[in-house]
Amino acid sequence: MCRGGQRGAGSATSKMTTRPSVPAKPGEGPRAAELALVERCRRGELGAFEELYRAHAGRLFSLACRMLGNPADAEDLLQDIFLAAHRKLDSFRGEAALGTWLYRLATNQILDHVRSRAGRAGQVTDGLEDATVLPDAGEHRLGDRAIGRIDLERALAQLPEGCRAAFVLHDVEGLEHREVAEVLGIAEGTSKSQVHKARLRLRAILGSVRHQP
Amino acid sequence: MSCTRFIPQIQEMVDGTLGAIRRAELDMHLEQCDDCRSLLEDLRRIHDAAASLDELQAPDRVWLQIAGRLRQEGRLADTPASSTPRRSHVALLAVAAALVIAVGASLMLLWPRAGTTPAPAQAGAATQPGTAPAASGNPAAVNSVEDVENELRQAEQHYETAISRLQQIANSNQSSMDPQVAATLQKNVQVIDQAIAESRAALRTEPTSAPARDSLFEALRQKVTMLQDTIALMNEMRKGNSAGAAQVLNKS
Repeated sequence: MCRGGQRGAGSATSKMTTRPSVPAKPGEGPRAAELALVERCRRGELGAFEELYRAHAGRLFSLACRMLGNPADAEDLLQDIFLAAHRKLDSFRGEAALGTWLYRLATNQILDHVRSRAGRAGQVTDGLEDATVLPDAGEHRLGDRAIGRIDLERALAQLPEGCRAAFVLHDVEGLEHREVAEVLGIAEGTSKSQVHKARLRLRAILGSVRHQP
Repeated sequence: MSCTRFIPQIQEMVDGTLGAIRRAELDMHLEQCDDCRSLLEDLRRIHDAAASLDELQAPDRVWLQIAGRLRQEGRLADTPASSTPRRSHVALLAVAAALVIAVGASLMLLWPRAGTTPAPAQAGAATQPGTAPAASGNPAAVNSVEDVENELRQAEQHYETAISRLQQIANSNQSSMDPQVAATLQKNVQVIDQAIAESRAALRTEPTSAPARDSLFEALRQKVTMLQDTIALMNEMRKGNSAGAAQVLNKS
């Protein structure tokens, strides 16, 4: 996963292989290797598919885990994603990088899962179109201590699903708001408000953790 | 905070999308507002911490389950064990390893679960006047803590006997197995034995703990099941039947 550096508008380094709109040039070195790997997978070589899995599972598992807020669901979904990928390998033509293709497949499956879970739970509030911005919790300042990875992962899991998805795609995965909007099927403005809302909520959650005796 | 109108600008500053004019306006405000400076700092730190989160590692069992499903659904190239022993060996090793993980994970889940086996104190309470006996058809058997403990000891003995016989069969078959596969299967036993030992230790500390008893019996039951599955897996491996081995995995 591409990380590092200041990301945001104008940044050209954010997860290029994951972007939905990155053009591809079939026949280039890495792409040719991907096509060869995919061909071996199509022929039913388990070792080839394991190679493909090992190269991409971590990134997709991280995405699923954080977007679902539940590692057990993410495991099940990761299995479904790769089984679906294996079924759909015939449709992979190499126009996009294999990582991009898998990322699209994974985000679609994850979002389907989120929506069906929200539907089952009868959650009609705080959907992806919910643009509510919370008032700031000024009393929940973070202070000087660093934000721990575990604290942040836990706080992420407490976010409402709508703003969690936008936040993960934007702040964790490094997509721009227009790309987040494209992936989630929402307006760009909604992506911004959801990410902003998520940050304020995270501040409140992390701030309250810090203020506990 | 009284200056909520600056929150969108602060957020855009974190996003890196704030234009020059609004940026200058925000800078002027930040010079005189501690709350907004603190907010900007905190949101930047959250953004940066999120961007630097490590990639999580998918548990090995996910791949093992995927491999099992692909094999079961016939989506892999059909390669008889005799012609390509290495590939078959790897796949079957994966199946065997999945047994370890599946058993280990299920045992982990047992601890917080509420007990279903009546604890001696509960059994005694069920025989108070005006209440029905707890064990159907054998009320005398639950009349005392001692009786209940005797029954539990007998039940444990039954499990131990079954385990001992199954273990003998498994051991006798392992000589014909690949050492790596045998070692992997041996891990199954170790995982369960550890759970059994921990359950026994918990029972020694709290002899009347229903969850500890449940955990012990569930661990013993798991060991019986695992040994049965191991034997079935060995049979399928000896036949070179990958699909059959995958079925054993899915059953477990």
